[in-house]
Amino acid sequence: MRVEAPGRVVYGVVLDAVAYEDLARPLDAAVHALGDPAAAGSPRDSIRLYTAAVLRQQPEEPLQPVPLGEVRMATDDDVRVALRMDAFTGGDHPTGIPIGTYGAAGLAAPVSLDADFLLGPEAAHLNITGVSGLATKTSAVEFFLSSIFQAFPARKGSVAALCFNVKGPDLCFLDQPAALSDEDTALYARLGLEPRPFDNVHYFAPCKPDGVNLNTLRTHPDLAANTEPLTWGLREVLEYAEVVLNRDDLDAKADAFIDFLDDRVVGKEFHAPELQPKEWKVLTFADLEAFFRAIFDALENSHRGDLWRTHHIATIRKVRNRLGNITTRAKGLVTDDGASSDLPWGAFADRAVYVVDVAGVDPLAQDLVFARVISKLREHLERRDLGVDHVVVFVDELNKYAPSDGPDTYVRKMLLDLSERGRYLGLVLFSAQQFRSQVLRRVVGNAGTTIYGRMDPDELATAGYATLSPATRIKLATLPKGELMVRHPHFTQPVFVRFPRPAVLSGREGVERFPPAPDLPFDEAVARQLRALDPGVSVERVRGLVGGRREDDVRRALARTRQARPDDAFSYFTACLGRRIEPERGTRRATVTPLRDPVDPYASQP
Amino acid sequence: MKLAHLADLHLGFRQYHRQTPAGINQREADTAMAFRQAVDGIIAARPDVVIVAGDLFHSVRPTNAAIVFAFQQFQRLHAALPDAPVVLIAGNHDTPRSAETGNILRLFEEVGVHVASNEARRFVFPELELSVLAVPHEALAQAERPLLRPDGSARYEVLVAHGEVDGVFPSDRSTVEYGGAVVQPDEFGLGEWSYVAFGHYHVRTELGPRAWYAGALEYVSSNPWGELRDEAEKGVEGKAWLLIDLDSGRATPQPIIPARRVLDLPRLDGTALAAEELQAAIVARVAAVDGGITDRVIRLVVTGVPRHVARQLDHAVIRGWKAEALHFHLDLRPPSPTRSTGVGAPGRRQTLPELVESYLGQRALPAGVDREAFVREGVDLVASAERELAED
Repeated sequence: MRVEAPGRVVYGVVLDAVAYEDLARPLDAAVHALGDPAAAGSPRDSIRLYTAAVLRQQPEEPLQPVPLGEVRMATDDDVRVALRMDAFTGGDHPTGIPIGTYGAAGLAAPVSLDADFLLGPEAAHLNITGVSGLATKTSAVEFFLSSIFQAFPARKGSVAALCFNVKGPDLCFLDQPAALSDEDTALYARLGLEPRPFDNVHYFAPCKPDGVNLNTLRTHPDLAANTEPLTWGLREVLEYAEVVLNRDDLDAKADAFIDFLDDRVVGKEFHAPELQPKEWKVLTFADLEAFFRAIFDALENSHRGDLWRTHHIATIRKVRNRLGNITTRAKGLVTDDGASSDLPWGAFADRAVYVVDVAGVDPLAQDLVFARVISKLREHLERRDLGVDHVVVFVDELNKYAPSDGPDTYVRKMLLDLSERGRYLGLVLFSAQQFRSQVLRRVVGNAGTTIYGRMDPDELATAGYATLSPATRIKLATLPKGELMVRHPHFTQPVFVRFPRPAVLSGREGVERFPPAPDLPFDEAVARQLRALDPGVSVERVRGLVGGRREDDVRRALARTRQARPDDAFSYFTACLGRRIEPERGTRRATVTPLRDPVDPYASQP
Repeated sequence: MKLAHLADLHLGFRQYHRQTPAGINQREADTAMAFRQAVDGIIAARPDVVIVAGDLFHSVRPTNAAIVFAFQQFQRLHAALPDAPVVLIAGNHDTPRSAETGNILRLFEEVGVHVASNEARRFVFPELELSVLAVPHEALAQAERPLLRPDGSARYEVLVAHGEVDGVFPSDRSTVEYGGAVVQPDEFGLGEWSYVAFGHYHVRTELGPRAWYAGALEYVSSNPWGELRDEAEKGVEGKAWLLIDLDSGRATPQPIIPARRVLDLPRLDGTALAAEELQAAIVARVAAVDGGITDRVIRLVVTGVPRHVARQLDHAVIRGWKAEALHFHLDLRPPSPTRSTGVGAPGRRQTLPELVESYLGQRALPAGVDREAFVREGVDLVASAERELAED
């Protein structure tokens, strides 16, 4: 709304409304109508009192009380000025990111966020709260990312998104177009955006324990081209050993031994005269197991007590058990043989989405994936060699990963660090949860922009929402699908906006249209992965090639082929597998005739 | 079940200029002697199988003497151990770059040797319950490598290959033979074989359980000093071939008594030493060699020796050592250049007399020379030259 007075214009937003009538009690209407129900409902005079909060005054100085004046409904321009969007949506260098329309009495005024306050450097991070299943969190993030990719100005640098898919098929079909209603299409047009799916999406999912079938719902053959395995070896895991080792269980002694392994042994030439063999280069979990065995053998044979290089045998056994356990619990993500298939560190592309699908893996493996991926992002952004300048990281279920109570896990510390330091690096956290009140306050508090969808009434009753008016709380509890309340540094009051349905298939629709392929036998699963590199590869050729081979060898060859991405994937895979050498009987020559002239050419005398 | 593992014989290897009375390069003869000694040892040890893991010859076209000698030694082995198969693979030195050159190693099939010269072969010896996967250099250098896995067909399964196992060679690579095919450790499944016999690295090295580089039988690389350093770092003493017990996996080095010692004498620091002092230190170092330097291969590195000091050494004495030893290399290294003035710092450029004064103040001087007088004389000389120029 807009209030005009001589020399001043005041913009406000209605927060509450009360109606006053000339009846003291509702029953009085029936009494006055002498019991006639039809007459009791007749129109009566009433006064309506709207309480509004001031969004902006012009001129801003000096600050004045709101003058008496004519109140008008706001126009598009009024909304732009009231929300201070004129500072960042106009001019030569606009930085507005459309997020929806503000609507009242037929108005649908576009509302934008300031990219400098959404992706840094001024402020950063976005947090969404809302109950599940009402197109609040996932749909909103999908739409926001699409809007960022279309509207983020190129002069501000490049931007990519990394999403963790933590449940079901939520983010599994970002590259598939959805059918939109006319209303949604009109909404896109109003916001100046194109309704299109993401055109550069890469999926990464750990394997199932068989090492070749992917642990994701995105296994339909038509979607295989941009779905790749995520597998790590010892080096990748040991860097983040504290993630996978229970803190309560990990004492200072075990910590010291892990540091020793990391600093001196793994990936290095390690000389240990007391071990058999003396020279070690531990690269894989299998090597590490052999190394542990050598230590135990040496201790047993030496009879010199229970200490190996100041580490007690019990500590060594404990670390061995915990590390060995990782390959069991996170089988499919962590490989024994060291072959790794990872995100394209250093080669992230502008306007690309990287989805890491950890929905189906063990919570321990999920923690490991979170910790390593975000740490690597941070490392690369610090060195400015990731390939892009900004990365939006989307983490759903913050209630689970950064709860306000419970143990202080590595993942929680890492999310806190991201929210506190990320914006200096261009690392932006988009997070979502059902119950904001149960998330670590410093994580959500660092979000410059906050979004609320349909809320649970119990959640609204918590202290964090006390600043909202009763009417706003009621509206939040009854918000229809596709509407959100937005808080942004430029907006002096929360604003309700409507956003269109994202132009990508929802998880449910995607699973119906692209049903996940059943787990395939080993050779067929290998063929499917090779077909993602070379569509001409047939199951029969692969079956003929891998038949009788050890699965470990096949997995290793497959990992190398995926890593190299050669033009002729099948030939490369064949070469990696190695040619089988047929046995031949070594024939003995019964007699050999010596040379006729037996002179030794190197005899000491001529 | 015993296996003899030897590698990197490099027959025909020539180095330095000394010849035997028969006109053969002395180091070539030394190399042959090491092989003869190894064959003697193998015959005495009577292993069940003999493995030669590549680089039998130093070049793809070895000398006639080297070919005849190798033929005689294999014939000797066959005569003495008729039941012990000999498996020979080609290394990078034995492998011609073009196929039409052909491979000399096939000749040894005539003396009962099982040869893998360009393709991998799996030799099975049922009477020994033994299978040997023989992988020459060329098979590893191809895009499609053989599968380096045991096939489970025999009780004893042995892999013999010639190449560079990734991560094993020293990081400075000064002793690495060029041209070796790189093999990843996970490619050949350590722990799956009864034994893995590798060739290519000249320093005897254990790769893991039941897996070894046997090392060369002589110092046959262009950088014997680096080889000596690697040996010292790994605690390896001298050259040997390996006798392996396939049942226990135990490897026992069988030392080769070298024809002559190769010695890298402890380094001298010649910094700030006058020529006479340095000469005395070098003489002392050479005199301290146990057993003298006669017919040996010797190097002495002296660091921090300016060129003018090097020129003042007694080169007649040094020539004497060179004649006495098979090879004597006095490696005089100049001081590393140091910059004493700041780069880009504001300031005045020195005049020529100042520059001379500064240089002479640091220059090494013969013992007994008064530096102050020496510097003053030099500066006066330059100043008088400048005056003369000005007067002209």
